[in-house]
Amino acid sequence: MAPGPDPNSVGDGAKRDEATIKVPSKDPKKKDDKKEEDLSEEDLQLKQNLELYVERVQDPNPELQKAALESMRQEIRASTSSMTSVPKPLKFLRPHYGTLKEFHKNMAESDLKKLLADILSVLALTMSAEGQRESLGYRLTGSEGDIGSWGHEYVRNLAGEIAEEYTVRQGEEASIEDLMDLVQQIVAFHMKHNAETEAVDLLMDVEDLDLLLEHVDRTNFRRTCNYLTSAAKYLPGPDDMLVLDIAYMIYIKFEEYPNALQIALFLDNMQYVKQVFTSCTDLLRKKQFCYMISRHGITFELDPEMVENDVDREMLQDIVNNTKLSEGYLTLARDIEVMEAKTPEDIYKAHLLDGRASSGPSADSARQNLAATFVNAFVNAGFGQDKLMTVPSDSTSGSAGNWLFKNKEHGKTSAAASLGMILLWDVDAGLTHLDKYFHSNDNPIIAGALLGVGIVNCGIKNDCDPALALLGEYIDKEDSSVRIGAIMGLGIAYAGSQNDQIRSSLSPILNDAKAPLDVIAFAALSLGMIYVGSCNEEVAQSIIFALMDRSEAELGEALTRFLPLGLGLLYLGKQESVEATAEVSKTFNEKIRKYCDMTLLSCAYAGTGNVLKVQDLLAQCGEHLEKGDIHQGPAVLGLAMVAMSEELGLDMAIRSLERVLQYGEQNVRRAVPLALGLLCKSNPKVTVMDTLSRLSHDTDSEVAMSAIVSLGLIGAGTNNARIAGMLRNLSSYYYKDASLLFCVRIAQGLVHMGKGLLTLSPFHSERLLLSPTALAGIVTLLHACLDMKSIILGKYHYVLYFLVLAMQPRMMLTVDENLKPISVPVRVGQAVDVVGQAGRPKTITGFQTHSTPVLLAAGERAELATDKYIPLSPILEGFIILKENPDYREE
Amino acid sequence: MGKKYENVFELLIETTVYKKKPGRNRHDPTQRFVNPAPSKRKEPLTYDISRRPSNSVEEEPKRNKNKLVSLPSLQAIKQEASQFKMLTVSVKWQKKVFEGIEIDVSLPPYVFKAQLYDLTGVPPERQKIMVKGGLLKDDADWSSIGVKDGQKLMMMGTADEIVKAPEKAIVFAEDLPEEEQATNLNKLPRLVAVLQYTSRHTLSVCSGYSAGLVNLGNTCYMNSTVQCLKSVPELKSALSNYSLAGRSNDVDQTSHMLTVATRELFGDLDRSVNAVSPTQFWMVLRKKFPQFSQLQNGMHMQQDAEECWTQLLYTLSQSLKAPTSSEDSDAVKALFGVNLRSRVHCQESGEESSETESVYSLKCHISHEVNHLHEGLKHGLKGELEKTSPALGRTAVYLKESLIDSLPRYLTVQFVRFFWKRETNQKAKILRKVDYPLELDIYDLCSEELRKKLEAPRQKLRDEEGKKLGLQTKSSSKDGDVKMTDAEAPSNESGESSTAAQQEGTVSKTPFTWMIVCASSSEKGTHMTGIYDLVSVLTHKGRSADSGHYVAWVKQESGKWIQYDDSYPSVQREEDITKLSGGGDWHMAYIIMYKARFVSM
Repeated sequence: MAPGPDPNSVGDGAKRDEATIKVPSKDPKKKDDKKEEDLSEEDLQLKQNLELYVERVQDPNPELQKAALESMRQEIRASTSSMTSVPKPLKFLRPHYGTLKEFHKNMAESDLKKLLADILSVLALTMSAEGQRESLGYRLTGSEGDIGSWGHEYVRNLAGEIAEEYTVRQGEEASIEDLMDLVQQIVAFHMKHNAETEAVDLLMDVEDLDLLLEHVDRTNFRRTCNYLTSAAKYLPGPDDMLVLDIAYMIYIKFEEYPNALQIALFLDNMQYVKQVFTSCTDLLRKKQFCYMISRHGITFELDPEMVENDVDREMLQDIVNNTKLSEGYLTLARDIEVMEAKTPEDIYKAHLLDGRASSGPSADSARQNLAATFVNAFVNAGFGQDKLMTVPSDSTSGSAGNWLFKNKEHGKTSAAASLGMILLWDVDAGLTHLDKYFHSNDNPIIAGALLGVGIVNCGIKNDCDPALALLGEYIDKEDSSVRIGAIMGLGIAYAGSQNDQIRSSLSPILNDAKAPLDVIAFAALSLGMIYVGSCNEEVAQSIIFALMDRSEAELGEALTRFLPLGLGLLYLGKQESVEATAEVSKTFNEKIRKYCDMTLLSCAYAGTGNVLKVQDLLAQCGEHLEKGDIHQGPAVLGLAMVAMSEELGLDMAIRSLERVLQYGEQNVRRAVPLALGLLCKSNPKVTVMDTLSRLSHDTDSEVAMSAIVSLGLIGAGTNNARIAGMLRNLSSYYYKDASLLFCVRIAQGLVHMGKGLLTLSPFHSERLLLSPTALAGIVTLLHACLDMKSIILGKYHYVLYFLVLAMQPRMMLTVDENLKPISVPVRVGQAVDVVGQAGRPKTITGFQTHSTPVLLAAGERAELATDKYIPLSPILEGFIILKENPDYREE
Repeated sequence: MGKKYENVFELLIETTVYKKKPGRNRHDPTQRFVNPAPSKRKEPLTYDISRRPSNSVEEEPKRNKNKLVSLPSLQAIKQEASQFKMLTVSVKWQKKVFEGIEIDVSLPPYVFKAQLYDLTGVPPERQKIMVKGGLLKDDADWSSIGVKDGQKLMMMGTADEIVKAPEKAIVFAEDLPEEEQATNLNKLPRLVAVLQYTSRHTLSVCSGYSAGLVNLGNTCYMNSTVQCLKSVPELKSALSNYSLAGRSNDVDQTSHMLTVATRELFGDLDRSVNAVSPTQFWMVLRKKFPQFSQLQNGMHMQQDAEECWTQLLYTLSQSLKAPTSSEDSDAVKALFGVNLRSRVHCQESGEESSETESVYSLKCHISHEVNHLHEGLKHGLKGELEKTSPALGRTAVYLKESLIDSLPRYLTVQFVRFFWKRETNQKAKILRKVDYPLELDIYDLCSEELRKKLEAPRQKLRDEEGKKLGLQTKSSSKDGDVKMTDAEAPSNESGESSTAAQQEGTVSKTPFTWMIVCASSSEKGTHMTGIYDLVSVLTHKGRSADSGHYVAWVKQESGKWIQYDDSYPSVQREEDITKLSGGGDWHMAYIIMYKARFVSM
């Protein structure tokens, strides 16, 4: 007897009867009756044989028994190979299931009993009642042997029953050893027969994924890992990390390093990243890794252990430091022929509007000029030339230095900083252009220059740390605008770097009783950026103290929201790690308590798709508050942040937001467009576009403003003609309302960002990885947009530049082994989800063939259209190194 | 390989330079760099950086190796350098990298900055040198900064002019007092509207032509007629002389009123900037000619512009007749009247008679053979008519051939585009393209006597043109041998030889005294030449006579062509005027008016 006979598997008579009655009702018993007569001769023969075997099995003579069993087994095995219908032997044996079961129960322990158990186990496949797991029960009492010989369907059924049995036994804390033996067999069988998904499912059910490592081989590891990574998105709690761990190990095992690196980055596990470098010996591949790390936007130092040669290491470090990003981007721009600078008027296209055009030859409007400054900055971002700021200044009367002065007071800050945007990523040229503004005697201009230095250095690391050297001096200046410029610049330049030197100079500001609120707010924000997702205790402490020190009146200020946000950024995507801090936040003044709570929650679970958190946040949005509480805004944004990571959750979130929009209070409604904007950044979905278009004419001007800005966000860097048209019409619709018009202009600038070469999406590598700094930048802007009037329309419009953190070229640039761009044909098409699909499905659909460099829109994927080269990374995004294919033959 | 050797060779030179004057150069760097006058710049720097070609920058590491391996002398120098605590660093500035700059650690960083001034031209006070996350202070101690040998430094700074605020502060709309802000806002759309208007129709005030006429409901035929007639200054002045007192008794009340209304309308058009509404004129016109009041579906019907034109001229001619009632003093007739002498000839009977008649316009008949105005006119002057022959005692076909006996100051030509289609009982339109010239010579349509009269003035005109041409060629080419063949050409069709560009200024435009201007009184000063210049075109656009749109195209005294499309005047190019010749759905000439070219004898 098998150890520990299951009480369920050999159920009592009543139950069994029920089963026998129940099963025929599911199966074509009626047909059976009818067919009784019209069975073919062959079938009749078979039936009679089987009946004879059943008789004989009950014969006392063991010899006869054995022969009968053997023949029965023969019959069954011969027929289970195909499972399109219930096999005949099983069908004919069905009426005898009860008798055989009864007989088996009374049999003495022997080999024969085991044989019979085997047969009963197979019969139970169709006969066993739901939840009885008889098939498994007999299997465990049966003879050991190849279960695969009973057919695929049988194995699958068995796997299902094992999973059930496992949970039951877990509950009873019973031993599972016997099950694991079976699992071993089943997994091996599945892995051998192209059923990786089922093997993974079973192992996940029995919580023993490690087994997988023994069974994967070169032919199936890719499909296995694919399934693992995509399943991870839907797994709760620590399980997903476990699954990814396994995937990482498999990739490492088969030397599929780029994928391994991808997972290491997803797990944010630097140890793994390091392991990838140490396991790989090919320098060229390491270069590719560096490109991948640089796209992710994290700070990463290579050490001699990873790359031995000093010269090589320096070169690789340069790639990680993004020093060549500007070059690559300009290569793309030249190839697409968009180098020509554009003016804001080229973007507004006022000539396409008839009737009241929005600009006239009246006095300069500071608001409109400021808008033009931003539009100019966004549109010409990274191109190094424009028509307002970088024009040579020798013509004294010309527009040269004078555009700066067409901006008023704090507007000059944004104007000077826009140079940083125009020269984005090109540190050398950027510093050269910005230098002269440092010597200005106008504080806003100096502030702008400082911010500009930060922007130029965004995502670029340099040995000399020019940003720190330049900005560090200004942190403690008298004028608060200059201080903010320097602080914000540092935040942008060193986002994610966890630079201790900056912390030691910024932290004191937070707890300086004399520092003005805005300086403190920006310092908290910058620290949050620099330590994004680090859970750094000390920074958290500083911000918490700063929050506690604020007076009642200060807590009501719009800028105060940056303090909790800074705190939240520290825990971006870190899930449970936030709990201690969240606990502390409960002691805050009630004015900020809930706001802080929501911000922390939403940041910590950003990009996790955690359904429970989404429900929590939704509940918050549904409340109808009496007073002007402001915490619902971040709750709505949080909804989007948590749900944004994968497509299904994203669609669900969009639907929920529609509902929130209809039933929510006004302050909730104001945040909904922003949340929609976050969900579809640089991905203009038509439904979302329509919703936002509708909201852009809302009677509540703040709803309209957020909708307009969000239109810009969803179209960011796409040049989407439909959105551009909508915004143009809005510009004439709101021509009298300076504030709304300003928003329209900003949105127009965003849509044409980088002349259509950039994206704001923090997701990359086929939407798997989420760049923390990029997300931090966008979230900060959105939080600022929650109180549009006092921040963006007030004097802190430069928070718009936080978007630079998320700006990345949406390109695929192929380089040769010397990292020089080469042009190869590629197919670009809509990405197809191929996880768990049989065979070798096409990964893209509706493709067009281009030659690199090419632009990739949201949801698009590229593949090489030539065999001449082999890409060093399977994920064709950003910089891709190509190696000549040694097997390639010219036709 | 060649390159490598070159480098080695270069290094050798370098070392020799090094050796030659080590003392002066290396022990007292301040002397060199503290006060770097531009003239001094080249000489002391020869040994280190400035003479190194930029293309050798990439070779640097290799070169260093060479130094160590193959050139012991360099090694010695290196040792020497360490004795004096020399550090070699590279400095990145803008896109350039200056390699191998030496720092004397015993001297303050200001000296180093002076060194860099030599290289970059950026004054030390504007230099920002970044050393591992900090700026290099002028008085810092090298040892505390921790610069290592071979380290890369970065320098920021330019010699650019520092931005200064513009002297005149910019006034922002937001800073204006509230009322002005409001007006600014309100002004905006209006101004834009005006600008858009101007861009399309160029404001009449600025460009010196008169205003348009408002369409009162299918009155474009009237508007365009008025605009065309208004372009005749003589008619305008004749009208201005008209007064009640001068009114002859045989002019009826309505004609008088129409004349006055015309005068007023012309005056309004000259004074006004915006489009004029011709309500008064329209009412009087309808009173005088009730056929223009026809209604169709409650709307006034579209009318024939030619009818309006003729009727109006006829009325004016009646009322403007001088009281003396002598034929010659009929102003309208003097301006527009064409005397025709016709020979009526019956082929059957052989009888022949001649008659004279006076018409206000010539007809251009359009048939299959007619492609050009000239052909059409000829065609129009020939006709067959049936009349009772006294000789035969029955009706017979007579051939009528007309020739022009006297020329008008303004020659009006009507294209007979509309005809009554008998089979369908409809007015139909001929769309055939008939070209017309900007300059028309009707010499060959004139009678013998008239031709004789025209000979002398035409000769004179040719001479003048020839002279002008000759003068021009003389001024452009020195040889001056150019024959005035054109002027001597005896051809009758010489009109084409002169170009439109030359006509201005050469033809004397005598001050107008309309009383004496008739073809018959040409002896007194100015003479007709039989050559005419196009001054206005009245076009019709559309497929039938009862629909479509009439537009006037009028040449201004400035030589500019203006299209009067009801209330919208717009400037046109001259070459576009001749494109109104029909053959499509575009505007096509219906009535055109030429102005005679005079010559003073």
